[in-house]
Amino acid sequence: MTGGLRRAGAWAHRLRPRGLRARLLVAFVLVTVVGAAAAAWAAAGSAGTALVGGAQERLTGTVADRVGALAPELDYPPDRETLDRLRAAVGPNTLVTYEDLRSADADAPGPGLGAVRGAVRERNRIVVRRITDGGTPRLLVGMPVMLTTPDGERTPSGIEVYTVRDLSGIEGQVDVLTRSAGGASALALPLAVLLALLAARGVLRPVRDLRDTARRLADGDLGARTAPQGADELAALTSTVNEMAASLQASMAQMERMRADARRFASDVSHELRTPLSTLTAVVDVLASEAEEMEADDRESVELAVAETRRLVRLVEDLMEVSRFDAGSADLRLEEADAAEAVRDCLRARGWTDRVAVEAEGRVGLRADRRRLDVIVANLVGNALRHGAPPVRVHVAADGDEVRIEVDDGGPGLSEDVLPRVFDRFSKGDAARTRSPGSGLGLAIALENARLHGGDLTAENTGGGAQFVLRLPRTPRGEEGEW
Amino acid sequence: MVRPFVLRMLVPLLAVLLAAGCGLRPTGPTDGGRAPTGVASGVTLYFIGGDGELRPDFRGTGRLGTVSDAVSLLITGPGRDSGLRTGIAPVSTTRVTVTTGPDVLTVLVPLAIDEVTPQGIDQIVCTALGVHVQSGGAQDTEVRVGFTTAGRESEELRTCPLFG
Repeated sequence: MTGGLRRAGAWAHRLRPRGLRARLLVAFVLVTVVGAAAAAWAAAGSAGTALVGGAQERLTGTVADRVGALAPELDYPPDRETLDRLRAAVGPNTLVTYEDLRSADADAPGPGLGAVRGAVRERNRIVVRRITDGGTPRLLVGMPVMLTTPDGERTPSGIEVYTVRDLSGIEGQVDVLTRSAGGASALALPLAVLLALLAARGVLRPVRDLRDTARRLADGDLGARTAPQGADELAALTSTVNEMAASLQASMAQMERMRADARRFASDVSHELRTPLSTLTAVVDVLASEAEEMEADDRESVELAVAETRRLVRLVEDLMEVSRFDAGSADLRLEEADAAEAVRDCLRARGWTDRVAVEAEGRVGLRADRRRLDVIVANLVGNALRHGAPPVRVHVAADGDEVRIEVDDGGPGLSEDVLPRVFDRFSKGDAARTRSPGSGLGLAIALENARLHGGDLTAENTGGGAQFVLRLPRTPRGEEGEW
Repeated sequence: MVRPFVLRMLVPLLAVLLAAGCGLRPTGPTDGGRAPTGVASGVTLYFIGGDGELRPDFRGTGRLGTVSDAVSLLITGPGRDSGLRTGIAPVSTTRVTVTTGPDVLTVLVPLAIDEVTPQGIDQIVCTALGVHVQSGGAQDTEVRVGFTTAGRESEELRTCPLFG
């Protein structure tokens, strides 16, 4: 039982329309057709009742008129012959009785007569009763013939007339009425479908517009808006969405402005620092050339000043480089290069050749900005030498359309909290070693350079130390046609 | 919650509609109006009694008969031994014509106005009206007695002084 109910429920659920259009359509059609059917059937019902009532009244009146017309000519008290005369006047299917006398009852009404006779004797009025005799609707009419005094006092004469009339013709008319009512309500169906489709379109178009706008907003087009139409709830929703988008757009614009301000500030600061810094560098160089003749304490101070000044110079240069990336003014000078050769050149220039092993499979050609490739390799190798432990190895290989340069070290690897932020600006692998020679921008600049080439730079722990993987396309995007 | 409510409303509505749409259903005995009347064992005529008042005189003819039969019988007189008088002069012909209108019964009698006393006119009116009521006519019907002599009397609408 429960299973059957659940199955029925699931079946109903499957049949239930999902789309807004289908639901609107079903509801509209249901309401309209039920309403039209109710109106048509009610009208047909009352018309049918009036039809039947009128017909019954007409039949009854005819019988009463015939009886009344003949009554003054009848002998009273009547004999059998008189009763037969009255019966003949009323028509077929008639029974006339007077006390114990009965008219010839060859075709006298039978079924349902008892109740009518009782009602006739009780009320002394005409009594009608609708019966169904063998599937045919019939009207049973019973009436007493009254005895009236000249001053109008009525008493029953004892003569009673019972007759049956066929109602099949009336039933046929009522059936026609009912059928035409059904047809009329069926006519409402296409109209309802049409109206439902129109209404659905009216509702669904704003919804679709709104959905499109929301999608464009989600895709980043913060200027997307929908013009609200009308003054309904959907228009209110549209206005609200527009307000939301406007507010979002304002916030984003403000944020963008703040970021631009911050970048410009960094750029301005680094530019402003460069001029005094070059003077400072010149002075420190002079001091350094005379350091040999100084006392040991003074020489140490001078060497410290020289080192810090150089670090400051590199920091400012890195800052300016980062500012150029942020401003989008970093230019890429692509030329033919050999990745393995570039790595060796880089190591040679910095005197790292004996500390770093290079593994390369012959020539690995690609189109790249040699200076930027050098910056990336120098930053990765420098980082490994500074923070990792030997052996530091660089592996250069072609990998399909890409060139893959891996830098491994034998150190403890990157800690879990550093790994996700290793390419962030001023991210320090070890908070205690803040005075390391790096600017804190090296890896960030390396990543920006890799991306400028259309490549990528990732970091991970191999288990035997940290590994940085640089992937560069052999032909940067937009270059294929010229290559 | 909405769907069960809708269903609860729809099911009885549809049931009522279907029931209303089916063919003619049998009924119990219902009232069909006023019963016909008109049988009687005789006819009642009105003559003048010894005290000068109108008196009903029942004639056992076995049936009620028509208004014109009754008025014809009235014109023939009360009979010698009845002890009743009549206000209608004896005439050779008793042919009476009756026309029944909606509210008026017109009785054309073969009499001149000077052959009938005022009480004789009442006799005619009461007899005609009595038979009319006995055969199912309305009690407030008025009677116009048409005489052979034209005049105002033949247009007058009369009622029987005996009936309320």
